[in-house]
Amino acid sequence: MRREGSPWQGLGVVTLKELSDHFTSARMRVLEWLVVLVALAAVYGAIQQIRDVTAEDPFLFLRLFTTAREPLPSFVSFLSFLVPLMAIGLGFDAVNGEHSRRTLSRILSQPIYRDALLFGKFLAALGTLSVSLIALWLLVIGLGLITLGVPPGGEEMARAFIFLLVTIAYAGVWLALAMLFSVVFRSAATAALVTLGIWLFLTVIWPALAPAIAQAVVPPDNQEALLVTAQMLTRLSPSTLFGECVLALLNPTTRTLGPVYLSQLQGAVMGAPLPLWDSVMVAWPQIVGLIAATILLFVGGYVAFQRQEVRA
Amino acid sequence: MTHRLIAFVVALLALAAPALAAETKPDVKGLYLLSDYPAVTVQPGTTSTVSMRLRNYGLAPERLSLAVAGAPAGWKATLLGGGQPIAAAMPATDDSVSFDLRLDVPKDAKTGTQTVTVSADGSSQHVSLPIQVTLAKELPAKLSLTPELPELRGSTRSTFEYTMTIKNDSGKKLLVSLAADAPRNFDTSFTEAYGSQQLTAIPVDAGKTKDVKLKVTPPDTVDAGNYPVTVHIGAGDAKASAKVALDITGEPKLTLAGREGLLSARATAGTESSVPVIVSNTGTAPAENVQLSANAPSGWKVTFDPKSIERIAPNQHKEVQALITPPSKAIAGDYVTTFNASARGENGSANFRVTVTTATMWGIAGVGIIGAALLIMVGAVARFGRR
Repeated sequence: MRREGSPWQGLGVVTLKELSDHFTSARMRVLEWLVVLVALAAVYGAIQQIRDVTAEDPFLFLRLFTTAREPLPSFVSFLSFLVPLMAIGLGFDAVNGEHSRRTLSRILSQPIYRDALLFGKFLAALGTLSVSLIALWLLVIGLGLITLGVPPGGEEMARAFIFLLVTIAYAGVWLALAMLFSVVFRSAATAALVTLGIWLFLTVIWPALAPAIAQAVVPPDNQEALLVTAQMLTRLSPSTLFGECVLALLNPTTRTLGPVYLSQLQGAVMGAPLPLWDSVMVAWPQIVGLIAATILLFVGGYVAFQRQEVRA
Repeated sequence: MTHRLIAFVVALLALAAPALAAETKPDVKGLYLLSDYPAVTVQPGTTSTVSMRLRNYGLAPERLSLAVAGAPAGWKATLLGGGQPIAAAMPATDDSVSFDLRLDVPKDAKTGTQTVTVSADGSSQHVSLPIQVTLAKELPAKLSLTPELPELRGSTRSTFEYTMTIKNDSGKKLLVSLAADAPRNFDTSFTEAYGSQQLTAIPVDAGKTKDVKLKVTPPDTVDAGNYPVTVHIGAGDAKASAKVALDITGEPKLTLAGREGLLSARATAGTESSVPVIVSNTGTAPAENVQLSANAPSGWKVTFDPKSIERIAPNQHKEVQALITPPSKAIAGDYVTTFNASARGENGSANFRVTVTTATMWGIAGVGIIGAALLIMVGAVARFGRR
């Protein structure tokens, strides 16, 4: 049966209800504690290391995000595995949970389209993640202000802000993936397991596997093609894309993320930071990849949900 | 006794004849009181020293008491030997004893010539030497200064070296102080003729000459022209001076900078950007036919519009456009490019920092990809939308 009227009808209601559900759930308590502990641990480690090691640095504040001190990983590495976990945790039972609670047909009997239900669930989960990430970001900056005693510059804040947006996009990819599987699989446990499996595969195994695949595909005498192919393959993983974005944004001296010829470096002034806009341009393909992957995965979930029988 | 001694000496000479044949023994015998300059000129109120010698030619040593006679009232004549007043001397055979006659002439002494007699009296020998002392208000010049090449020509960057000869015409060794009177900001220094040690004074023996070198370094900014330098030397009352001159020819000096002294520029990879470059001539002569060139990283194309400048007058500047094209594969970031301007030996260069930004085409392509993804979503919503 064709839909009549706007697909957005009821979107606001669903989003608000889902948001309030998220914020009052036990998961949110866990998330909040994770946020606070991660911020404390990362900032503590970074501050110790900065005090010991870093000399004068025009981007001292950005070091807060990227500096690690053994055995703690840096704030960015914390995020690169914490964000997928948070997103999957919020999204893995978005639709099949309604099935198992037998509430889906009851919701859809209201004047709410399926479009609005899925959009609302996605937006609410993304909103929850954004709130957590913004809180985390503000916590780190605040703690950094207190402990470093150095006010951040305008460009540093702009870079940190774009980094926050990229992190939210990165969370969106995993959220869309988790929601796709929550549509595909009726069992929440299966959906969670499959999503976590894909996450582990893409984050841990794929970066090691990609060069091997490249070696098998590309003739071995063409070193350049080999390098480029291996890099292209690793970039299929959102974790790699996120890591490269962070490198370009939080390390202003990064000039490129691809292979570099020696001739391209002739006359280059090493260690000179790139302007903000150029750094964004360096990371732009990666950012586009994250945003486009989010949209396409969501569309996949949307199509699957629209074609599903929900009255069973 | 004297005859026996002579016989002995003759015998000795006969024995040593082959060895001593070369030496010509002066055919003089006796005791002499000697002075290099037995007539001197002094100023009233000063102290003058006359060096004297008591020479014994072939006589047995004898004690000789010394005396000064004929000194006018108020004068003080002292005989000094080995730094202390003496009253007697004893020269060995064929040897001499040096001593000085010091004359303290009072201020109010009348001008004119006085004769002071120094005598040495022994038991068998009596010698005396009259010394004429002329009192004069002004002593004749005792120093002279002669530059070897008094006129030199060069550019502001060359050093001008004048060798000059100082002659001490007076009767005693003088410590001659050296000074040069040069135009403002000209750097002068004196060195030995063959040496690098800088000097402010140099000792010159009586009657001898010494060479010194005056080095003049003009300031970079001096205009072309002729600049005189006066050299003054002096020791006590004796003074002398000489004039030398520098003939400075001007030369162009080129400097490069961007507008308002900016040394940075922006360029986009793969496209030509124009950077204004100002070539200034801060030298003292016009720069003719200024050629412009650039040292850029490999793969970069840098040309100038115009390629060369006909003429830049002193303290004038001309603007040219540098057209920079980084290769399309250039990585974003800062690069160093050197721009050169050269005009017949004179060279000016400046390092420009060129910030390369990558083309925004890929950024637009990225927006397109996101747009396409959104379109797919809209399409899916339209196609699959249902109750």
